[in-house]
Amino acid sequence: MSAVGSLKQTGLLRRGVLLGTILLIYVFLLVPVAMVVLTSFTGRAFPAIPYDGISLQWYVALMTDSQLLGALFTSFVVATGAAIIAVIFGTIAAIGFVRAEFPYKQQLSTIMLLPMIISPVITGIALIRYFGQINVNAGYPTLIIGHSILGVPYVFLLVRSELVTFDNDLEKASRVLGADPTMTFTNVTAPIISPALLSGLFIAFIVSFGEFTATQFLIAPGTSTVPVEIYDMLRTGLTPEINALSTVLVVIMVLAAVLSRYLER
Amino acid sequence: MSVVVERSPVPSWLSDRITNRHLVAIGVGWVTFFFVFPVLFLVVESINFGDGHPLQAYQRAMGGVYLAAFVRSFLYGIVTTLVTLALAYALAYYLVFSSKRVRLLLTLVVVPLWIAYIIRYFGVLLFFSPTGPLAQSFGIETDLLFTTTAVIIGLANAYLPFAVLPIYNSLNAIHHETINASRTLGAGQLRTIYSVVLPLSMPGVVAAGVIVFILSAGSFLGPDILGGSGQSMIANEIARAFLEAFNIQLASALAVIYTILLIGFIAIFNAVFDLQEALGNL
Repeated sequence: MSAVGSLKQTGLLRRGVLLGTILLIYVFLLVPVAMVVLTSFTGRAFPAIPYDGISLQWYVALMTDSQLLGALFTSFVVATGAAIIAVIFGTIAAIGFVRAEFPYKQQLSTIMLLPMIISPVITGIALIRYFGQINVNAGYPTLIIGHSILGVPYVFLLVRSELVTFDNDLEKASRVLGADPTMTFTNVTAPIISPALLSGLFIAFIVSFGEFTATQFLIAPGTSTVPVEIYDMLRTGLTPEINALSTVLVVIMVLAAVLSRYLER
Repeated sequence: MSVVVERSPVPSWLSDRITNRHLVAIGVGWVTFFFVFPVLFLVVESINFGDGHPLQAYQRAMGGVYLAAFVRSFLYGIVTTLVTLALAYALAYYLVFSSKRVRLLLTLVVVPLWIAYIIRYFGVLLFFSPTGPLAQSFGIETDLLFTTTAVIIGLANAYLPFAVLPIYNSLNAIHHETINASRTLGAGQLRTIYSVVLPLSMPGVVAAGVIVFILSAGSFLGPDILGGSGQSMIANEIARAFLEAFNIQLASALAVIYTILLIGFIAIFNAVFDLQEALGNL
């Protein structure tokens, strides 16, 4: 601890400059989102800081906009479906990669991470053209499968790091006591890694819920998602209704993230 | 805790045959079928099977606005990476060596990652917009919107959390005795940072740099929302070729070139550092 102490023995001025810099970095990091949320409560016709009192009129406008409510529904269905598929395949791959030994294992596991490395624009056009070839309909099927692919790397990394610390003797004990591999999985392995699975479920949900870039290629008429609606509204001009819709999205995503973090403990 | 032993839902003749290698095959197979194949299929899409040169899309893709967009993606990626690394290092250094509320402050770094990119770029747009809240409330008007500066600020804002975490982890792993020794041997604080802390945290810095570069060079929304026609990056040109010009061959050729460049970059990096470890920090 004395090393930390020695680093703390800096001049008051230097410390002030450091604290100021740190504060500015946090302002830089957090103000954009705060601004979006704050200005959604304006009573005016453009996004403004609501000095003259809080108004919920843009949320009321949101509630009566059937197109936006439809997009919210689509986003929920797609994110839920995509998250479930991502957790299934991400977990299967993570278990396999942690326990199997074979040549070029490390290199092969990079494939599981490719969807987070390749630009989502490329993912979007590649998927929609390919889906056309193999006769998958644009709309829910392309959105759910596409988003599940984007969520898989996150689930894979999360579950794999959880499994690395897993005590393999527990499974051996289960096998010795007469359980078959599947029974061992359902009764021993799954309960231990399930917090990581649930956490991965919420992360994949968040990835899908906020995705725009690949999504713009995967939608069909009638299956627009919330980020796509926000993008379209931004094209036509700034109204606080965009802020209200964004705030709803922020609340849902932060809620999912908090649940995920809570489950991870 | 009572354990209810359930009957296995999978018949034993099947469960006995599933090995860990099969699990690998299922996982990799899913990603291969729905991701690797589609991306490889772009190679087919990029080739001209009609009249003219089979690789005519590539000839077009390597000149004019497209070459400019490739160069811009690279340059914006580099500048964003440098800006982000500087900010992230200062923040991570403070969190590791000076902060008493590390947990809270780290959570505040991660919170933006939970929120959709489009909303964060929208926030930056509001910030600079002449009809935005800043201009309305404080009379602060900037001419930054739809300039290169605005795009870089937006990208740095979007990807800063990705840089803080690896650097924080590598700084946190430095033994305090090492720093102590440096101070005892007479090095001042700046000398200690330069000769001891910085070299020891290099793996985290490199990991952060690679992640930020990959993400920012391939960004679509940043330049789309905050830039003008003069800030168009490669992702924007791919989208435009596909959505506006309906030129699938050209869009595919651009995507193939960009992906090859990116994979080459990653392969070089992977030979020196472990990318998996870098991504695992997130």
